[in-house]
Amino acid sequence: MSAPVPISAPGTQWTVPDLRELALRIRLRAVRMVAPQGFGYLGQALSSAEQVAAVFATARPGVDRLVCSPGHYVIGPFAAAAELGLLSEDAAAGYGQNGSPVEAIGTERSPVMDYTCGSLGQGLSAALGFALSDRLRGSGARIFTMVSDGELEEGQVWEAALFAAHHHLDRLVVLLDANNSQVDGPVDSITTLEPIAAKWSAFGWHVQDLDGHDPDALAAALAGAAAAAGRPSVLVCRTSTRHGLDCLPPDADGHFIKLPPELAAAAVAELTGKLEARRA
Amino acid sequence: MREPPYPTELRPYGRALVDLARRRDEVLCLSGDLTRQCEVDLFQAEIPERFIHAGMAEANMMSMAGALARCGHIPFVHTFGVFATRRPFDQIANAIAYPGLPVRIIGFMPGVSTPGGPSHQAIDDVALMRTLPNMTVVDVADAVEVRQVAAAVIDLPGPVYVRLKRGEIPVIFDDDHVLRLGQAEVLLPGDDVALFASGMMLAAALAAARALASHAVSVSVINVPTVKPLDTATVRAAAARARVVVSAENHTIIGGLGSAVAETIAEAGLGRPLHRVGLRDTFAEGSLTAPYLFGKYGLSTQALIETIWSALGRPGPPPEAPAAAAESGEYSPV
Repeated sequence: MSAPVPISAPGTQWTVPDLRELALRIRLRAVRMVAPQGFGYLGQALSSAEQVAAVFATARPGVDRLVCSPGHYVIGPFAAAAELGLLSEDAAAGYGQNGSPVEAIGTERSPVMDYTCGSLGQGLSAALGFALSDRLRGSGARIFTMVSDGELEEGQVWEAALFAAHHHLDRLVVLLDANNSQVDGPVDSITTLEPIAAKWSAFGWHVQDLDGHDPDALAAALAGAAAAAGRPSVLVCRTSTRHGLDCLPPDADGHFIKLPPELAAAAVAELTGKLEARRA
Repeated sequence: MREPPYPTELRPYGRALVDLARRRDEVLCLSGDLTRQCEVDLFQAEIPERFIHAGMAEANMMSMAGALARCGHIPFVHTFGVFATRRPFDQIANAIAYPGLPVRIIGFMPGVSTPGGPSHQAIDDVALMRTLPNMTVVDVADAVEVRQVAAAVIDLPGPVYVRLKRGEIPVIFDDDHVLRLGQAEVLLPGDDVALFASGMMLAAALAAARALASHAVSVSVINVPTVKPLDTATVRAAAARARVVVSAENHTIIGGLGSAVAETIAEAGLGRPLHRVGLRDTFAEGSLTAPYLFGKYGLSTQALIETIWSALGRPGPPPEAPAAAAESGEYSPV
């Protein structure tokens, strides 16, 4: 298979002039990507839009790496890449369609990310492999790693957390999307993960617990992570799978949102309006 | 080839990997808390900057190895065969096999070579790894092949699973024997039976063939170091010449060498009776010694002789396997 190009590929270029606007555009793009199917992983894009925007605003093009551990979150990075000119309109329009390499659950064909996997809980370990390789070669690349709170139920995440702290992999940043959503319902109704921040702290990580929809807080936290020498960093991002899209019905299933044509049209109208207001 | 009892060599893999890594900067050595047991304590001592203690965390170790390979390294990952295949199967599938990355997974203590009981006996590792697309599966027979195996697999495309016996390894082949991966090698000619053997069962296969030869049974012994991709041309040719086909593996008879041979002769329409010698769809048990288990679970020279004798419909009692007389530092098959 031909290798898809990740954002760390030398020569890759983009700029993010306005983090808030990019988050809005990720939401709008995600609605348009999901609309043709009538359902999909829109909730993941809604909860992670600011995190994805903050990563693209912070990462050095062609140097730093992006790992998207939960494969169904790739819609966020795809949407951002499309908005930043890193993914063609045709490719973005092929999201989830038959024969398209832009699959709805990330695979080896997925562009944009350095690593993603639909079998959950494995991405942080891959990020460690990148960090070890970078250390062996004297590279100072940062590795931005998206992890979902549901993944914390997988033991491998904690194997990786132990390893990262023991080896002082301080180029590693985890953006933990604590949206309290998993397939069977709210995460806290299925497994008690709290206190999440204290767990990571006990594992030896530099921890920041913040509003995952606050762009300024995210940008500051990513800067704080960079300054935490000797320790890997985790940003516990408190989010909602419905954030920033008021037209969603109150009973929408955040893991897999149904988006019939009328709702899709309302969502496009709402987000287009917000985008115009921001630009005005 | 030598005759039994075979001399033995201690830990030939560990030295060979260090020699290879001296020549090839891409080689990394990962260990899952079984460093001395997997003979890579030497690597840790001599090339510490390329040695990674992954700890007792096989899932994380395999996913890391995949990412390291993605960056251009060639990770050799070491643990016991059970822990290398059963526990991190999903990680191997997703992070290594599916992307076709050059990770070399070295699983020690194949089959009942350890008396450590079902938790430590890799009786299904070949089957598990053989089902994964892109994976090569290697089961070498003696110290001469073990010495060569790291260099032989390093440049193969995609991932490789190698199962290796620990510690004292018999020296069956002459020193100039060349390990040719991807090829099955006819070691003894014979017309009555085609006996395919891999790994630790080669010594017993050779002993059985010799015992049967003195009773006018002609057995062709084929060494199969690469179970996947199988050298189907050699398997077909050897099976076509024989009346009966027998496989011998230190592994369950489901999914390993015997299954691979069965698939090949069935697809070729050869219609030869096939007898698979191996663990008969059972877990083994803990014991004091491994030879006891080889005897109890039908992995002995005598079991091969009896299987062949019966398959050919020979009258009277089968010949007796020669006594497995081996001094300390020598090896004879059970």
